[in-house]
Amino acid sequence: MSGAAAPTIPGEMRADITTSVNGGALTVSIGGALVLDTVGGVHEALEAPLARGPRAIRLELAKVTRLDASGVSVAVGLHRFAKSMGIPLEIAGVEGDRKLLVDLALRGQDPATPPRPIGFTREVGQAAAGIWELLVDLLRFAGEVTVIALQIVRRPALLRLRDTLAAMARHGTDAVPVVGLLGFLIGAIIAFQTYDPMAKYGAKLQVADVVAVSIVRELGPLITAIILAGRSGSAFAAEIGTMKVTQELDALRTFGIDPVRFLVIPRMLATVIVTPMLAVYASALGVLGGFTVLGPKGITFTQYLVEVRDVLTVGGFLQGLAKAAVFALLVSAIGCLAGMRTGQGPGAVGLSTTRAVVAGIVAIIVADSILGSFFYTLGI
Amino acid sequence: MVIALRGVSIGYGSRAIVEAIDLDVRRGEILFIGGGSGCGKTTLLASMNTLRPPLAGSITIDGIEIAGAGEDTLQQVRRRFGMMYQLGALFGGMTLLENVRLPLEEFTRMPRAAMDDLARAKLGLVGLAAHADKKPAEISGGMQKRAAIARALALDPPIIFLDEPSAGLDPVTSADLDALIVALNRMLGATFVVISHELASIFAIGHRFAMLDGARRRLVALGPPAELRDHSDDPWVRRFLSRTASGEG
Repeated sequence: MSGAAAPTIPGEMRADITTSVNGGALTVSIGGALVLDTVGGVHEALEAPLARGPRAIRLELAKVTRLDASGVSVAVGLHRFAKSMGIPLEIAGVEGDRKLLVDLALRGQDPATPPRPIGFTREVGQAAAGIWELLVDLLRFAGEVTVIALQIVRRPALLRLRDTLAAMARHGTDAVPVVGLLGFLIGAIIAFQTYDPMAKYGAKLQVADVVAVSIVRELGPLITAIILAGRSGSAFAAEIGTMKVTQELDALRTFGIDPVRFLVIPRMLATVIVTPMLAVYASALGVLGGFTVLGPKGITFTQYLVEVRDVLTVGGFLQGLAKAAVFALLVSAIGCLAGMRTGQGPGAVGLSTTRAVVAGIVAIIVADSILGSFFYTLGI
Repeated sequence: MVIALRGVSIGYGSRAIVEAIDLDVRRGEILFIGGGSGCGKTTLLASMNTLRPPLAGSITIDGIEIAGAGEDTLQQVRRRFGMMYQLGALFGGMTLLENVRLPLEEFTRMPRAAMDDLARAKLGLVGLAAHADKKPAEISGGMQKRAAIARALALDPPIIFLDEPSAGLDPVTSADLDALIVALNRMLGATFVVISHELASIFAIGHRFAMLDGARRRLVALGPPAELRDHSDDPWVRRFLSRTASGEG
């Protein structure tokens, strides 16, 4: 039989530990206060004897003068170690409430096992399953929206008009200042950046063409949609996501109210109506912004407007409107879908909001490139 | 006494819900605080746990005045109690083990493995050892409450505040929780201040019961629950503790 010196855990409270090995069986005897202040030291003192791989463990707690709910963690640690090594553990010297405390603490404790590493195949499989799930959700959502939209076309009373108008005010009217400001500045920036190269070829007035075409066909709808993704797409995801977390969506379903009709359609319809209007507004202010750069260069407002009128075609204007409507459809659908797919827990709503904004912006850019090629091919 | 309230008024803004509360919480007792809905139970607890200063009066914990005290004093006092919130208030991004380990990481110096064992022991006490690696969203509401109790016990505080611990729990789990409170109270001498409507728990384990009345805006009863139920001069207190409908008796 071999015995180890009895380390004393210092501090206001003291725990004395004696370990001895007899025929491979480790006996740990603890005396004094086995409490929060001493338990860390006890744990450290047990590392070396446990590392030698005992064949059995006996924990003596009879000399413990004070045991708190932290102190029983020594028993828990030894219990998990013994279970993982497949060796017996005997706990002695606890009775009454102490025994109850130890027994309660040991309930359901699993053996200590290292976490299973996640392999490459497993990760790829999980990612693929996630993408498949998303595609299924997307298809289901698109189907639901289409079916309900058709029902509303047949029976307009199904539309929640008041909610739609409120959404138009919140996501349209309230966005007017920021959309206007950005449109104006983008127009001015384009004029500013293109003036010098164009002036070299004596084409100062044609800067108005560049501003008008790029703003009306492209940038007006694009910046409006990006603002929409940041303001409204995120808001839709957060609103609907919070409602999902707080079971409000379940409550709607149990009333027999379809959440898509109640929540999604008013938001999507509102954004599809207001976004083209906002895009026109942004474009008008962008054209005006271009003049603020060209005006001081000696071009009159009449010259500028005539040039803009000549370069803009009805097709180009309608192209901008169509793009804005498509962007609005994508951003609002992605925001609402992200909200409906919100998981559980406090981080879930934040995650949905981030997804709505990022996926919304990516969808806008992808759709813009597809629509741009389409209109170019048609010669519009 | 471990907590002493003198002339305490609680409420929102300048509107008092309950006024002139004089209450001593004795060291090592299990004190239940109850009353009708909206009578200020949770607000009183928020004043005792330093989150909401009282509108008036004095609150001392272990002799340290917390009404109007500075942040340093409040931090010192906060180490003396653990708190379980009505809805658990677990950190959703962490596992149960990490939730319980957090106070240990912040306030103790011990090896990570010891902290893990300690956190597992606390989760074992509330019957959640097998769920240590789950996140709060993956377990039921009742289990979240029990995990919150384990977190309140993390630093073995001498005072433990529990806000509606049994609400939403099944009777067996609720009785297990009562047994745990009694064991911790007897073994560790921990003082429990429990906000609860659960008459079964109040009579089973409560040493004393303090009753607030929102209509009269005062503390209307304080004493052993069975004695108050049978002999209180106040009919509202007797009705409350004997679960009698307003129209009866």
